[in-house]
Amino acid sequence: MPENDFFRVEGLTKRFGGLTALDKLTFSVEKGMLFSIIGPNGAGKSTLFNCINSLYRPDEGKVWFRGKEITGLNPHRIAAAGIGRTFQNIELFANMTTMENLMLGRHLHMKTGLFGAAMMFHRRSRAAREEMVHRERVERIIDLLELQASRDKFVSQLPYGTRKVVELGRALAAEPELLLLDEPAAGLNNEEKEDLIFWIQDIRREFGITILMIEHNMQLVQDVSDRILAINFGKMITEGEPDEVVNHPEVMKAYLGG
Amino acid sequence: MFPNSLIQKFTFIPAFVTTQNLQPHGLRSLRCIETSDFFCIYNLQCRLAGHIMSEMGFAFMSAEMKRSYYEDIQPLKGWPARVWFVVLVAVLVAVPFVIKSYYVYVLSLMAVNVIVALGMNLLVGNTGHISLGHAGFVAIGAYTTVLLISGAGVVFPVALVAGGLIAAAFGFILGIPALRLEGPYLAIATLGFGIAVTIIIGRVELFGGHMGLIVPKPEIAGIDFSGDRALYYLVMGIAMLMGFAMRNILKSRLGRAFHSVRDSDIAAATLGVNVARYKTLSFAISAFYAGVAGGLWAFVLGFINPGLFSFVLSILFLATVVVGGLGTILGSVLGAVVITFLNLQAESIQHVPVIGEVLIWISQNFMTVSGLPNVSWIFTGLILILIVIFEPLGLYGIWIRIKIYWRTWPF
Amino acid sequence: MISQIILSGLAIGSVYALMALAMSITYKASEIPNFAQGEMAMISTYIAYVLLVVQGISFFWAFIFALLFALVLGLALEFVFIRRAKEPNLLNLIIITLGFQMMLYGLAGWKWGADQRRLRMPFSETETYDLGGGVVVSQLGLATIGTAVVLMLIIWLFLRFTKLGLAMKASQQNAMAARINGIRTNRILSLSFGISSVVGAIAGMMVAPVTTLDPGMMWDPLLKGFAAAVLGGLTSLGGVVVGGYLLGVIENLFGFYISLEFKSVVAFLIIVIVLYVRPSGLFGRHYVRKV
Ligand SMILES: Nc1ncnc2c1ncn2[C@@H]1O[C@H](COP(=O)(O)OP(=O)(O)O)[C@@H](O)[C@H]1O
Ligand SMILES: [Mg+2]
Repeated sequence: MPENDFFRVEGLTKRFGGLTALDKLTFSVEKGMLFSIIGPNGAGKSTLFNCINSLYRPDEGKVWFRGKEITGLNPHRIAAAGIGRTFQNIELFANMTTMENLMLGRHLHMKTGLFGAAMMFHRRSRAAREEMVHRERVERIIDLLELQASRDKFVSQLPYGTRKVVELGRALAAEPELLLLDEPAAGLNNEEKEDLIFWIQDIRREFGITILMIEHNMQLVQDVSDRILAINFGKMITEGEPDEVVNHPEVMKAYLGG
Repeated sequence: MFPNSLIQKFTFIPAFVTTQNLQPHGLRSLRCIETSDFFCIYNLQCRLAGHIMSEMGFAFMSAEMKRSYYEDIQPLKGWPARVWFVVLVAVLVAVPFVIKSYYVYVLSLMAVNVIVALGMNLLVGNTGHISLGHAGFVAIGAYTTVLLISGAGVVFPVALVAGGLIAAAFGFILGIPALRLEGPYLAIATLGFGIAVTIIIGRVELFGGHMGLIVPKPEIAGIDFSGDRALYYLVMGIAMLMGFAMRNILKSRLGRAFHSVRDSDIAAATLGVNVARYKTLSFAISAFYAGVAGGLWAFVLGFINPGLFSFVLSILFLATVVVGGLGTILGSVLGAVVITFLNLQAESIQHVPVIGEVLIWISQNFMTVSGLPNVSWIFTGLILILIVIFEPLGLYGIWIRIKIYWRTWPF
Repeated sequence: MISQIILSGLAIGSVYALMALAMSITYKASEIPNFAQGEMAMISTYIAYVLLVVQGISFFWAFIFALLFALVLGLALEFVFIRRAKEPNLLNLIIITLGFQMMLYGLAGWKWGADQRRLRMPFSETETYDLGGGVVVSQLGLATIGTAVVLMLIIWLFLRFTKLGLAMKASQQNAMAARINGIRTNRILSLSFGISSVVGAIAGMMVAPVTTLDPGMMWDPLLKGFAAAVLGGLTSLGGVVVGGYLLGVIENLFGFYISLEFKSVVAFLIIVIVLYVRPSGLFGRHYVRKV
């Protein structure tokens, strides 16, 4: 029964015209796991995330999260249910500072409405008090990810690697229970990659977040994952422990382009 | 072209040469489905802001130190700001006693336009939608207020707020297609709305048809506000209040949500921002400001008729925020003051010392003297184009440049 | 009776269709709704008037010169202003066209005043032909419909069979690929503005004899052209032409059967309603952003 699973995808299918980007994909993730998804370019990995987030509407199949079906809910409701994410090609708010970007992560947890906001005249007004509480939270994430130097810079001024970290921080600020990371290490240099691995493990320890990660870097995947799902052409190739999956003949074939 | 000129201009600051800034998105002939046109409006703003930051490097280094979190959102932070504010208020209070009554009227008009511009800027500058129909909201506000007072005997303050709320309701409805429409389509939809409102008002008996309506006296608790000075204080006070309210909104959770919708609605949604709600809310707030401004405008003018709320007025509102500076409160204020002034000045352009004589000479020899007032169109159009070509941040950008120049003066 | 109403709807619809076509040509190339389209047509029509009435040149040559002027005006808008935009995003480009529109309007008002003039065409408005069944059409109406149809045919042939036309189409569909294949997409863009300006100018010369010649004469046709273009979907040339005729007919039917008073609102209500139901118009395509 899907009710018992923390997160479960069941027979998910997405077609773009004649192309089947996802083909009856089924898998489930236990709470606290770091679950990786691998597959060659165009395999449908990002499409899977987009379907989970409802950015795309799947043609068939269901997504379950904490015992509730979330298929086809509005994206912001899915965020409210506790699923956060980052994007392959960084979707930051380019014309806002790092701080403001992270504060958007707190959006869900804040309550200020139109009237309250308009009346934010004083330090002790409710809106201002709430604002300060959440700035405090964001400040902690800034410390954790060592973003102090970028705190008040516009993200369009930041180098690529830092932007990736800011995006991670923004997702963390929302305190999701399930975090979807779409190629978090893509485009990073080795040093940045090491920092990233460190943070990902830190995040799991400190926040107890379940992570679903798309990654190309086999070494990274093997090092940090509890379980791996390999897909190609939208179909599952195999799923299991890191060593099994990486050494699976079809996975090797897909990666060597055979 | 676009990327090259920017490179030439900005390479001396390495931080600006990020891939983001050099992407030719928005390149006109490129059919680019991945970037919506709007996502790049603000790049320049960032660059300029970054420019200031690096110019004032030392001041911003200290930003790394922990500080009271309230400082970022505090209105009138620091004593210089407070002193300037007190001076400004004192001047605004004293000024009607010094200047001619016509100029008191001009100041009231400016204050009304500041209110419209504040709302317009929220929509265009902060949320990233184009409206070519704001005159429609102003009209709805004006007619509602006037009819509620003279027809239904509602008291003035209630009627004014009601005018704003009815306009907001229309704004909300107009915001619904905005959820699905891309830039140009939305622009045209708002244009259709604005014109339809004017036409309908002009044909309905209740609204006084083409003749319009005479505006009753504004009265609050038995006090008559119809004198030039009294009305000026009223309008200016409301403008000030609405200006601060808008500032607070923009600094709050809501303001960030509006920005996020402008920059990337997809990312916003995955962070729990109800994109649809904020888009329509932005239309509604914007229309509320326009509606209240409409109600006040009616009292400043003393009459209303459909001709006032033409498409041209909508364009002027858009021009106001573009000339003033998108996405900033100061921009709204500067834009409204300057456009109102130019607009009034243009009516008597032949009396301006040197320019007037040259223009009259040209009129006599090449054009027509009777057509001379049309020159104001040429000027306004030219200013718009020049702003877009040379200073997309408008007067606000010029102001910032002056400030930078001032601070770094000897160098 | 109804066929008479439809026929006169088609006559005015020709004007809308041409304005919509002009809009659509620039829109496809640049994704800018050109708000100066109407004023450009108005100025070109004034040029025709000056040549024809003031200078006394023959109708044919006045017509040709006015179209050449329109072409230059369109090229100038793109080359002098639009190309210079520092941040060529939708809002800024719309502002440029609005600014250009204001400038042209002011210029015409200054030069020719607000007096209404008449542009005389070699077609008469009072001479009518009976098409049977009581349906009559004026010489002018017939000429209007005929010119519009011929012009559309020319444009279609141009885009379909000439090298330049194909280059235009190519750079509209994929600018990058077109550039790689040696097409000067910049020039193509200028050209699109030029051609659409010519199409608009022809619409202007069709409007002037029916209404009057004055600086505000293209306001209404421009806005109706927008409505028609939206109805048809902006990006589909065939679609916007259909939209233009459809709008002309609907407007006339509405004016006759429902309310003459509110006839002029119809177009704008249509815009809003169509966009509610189909965000990309009746024949347009909608793109989804990929992340
Ligand atoms: N919005 C879309 N429209 C059309 N095709 C798409 C869209 N999004 C993804 N695709 C296609 O679906 C396939 C899978 O893409 P994607 O999920 O991005 O792959 P990846 O595994 O590299 O993340 C690709 O062939 C891609 O072209
Ligand atoms: Mg991908």
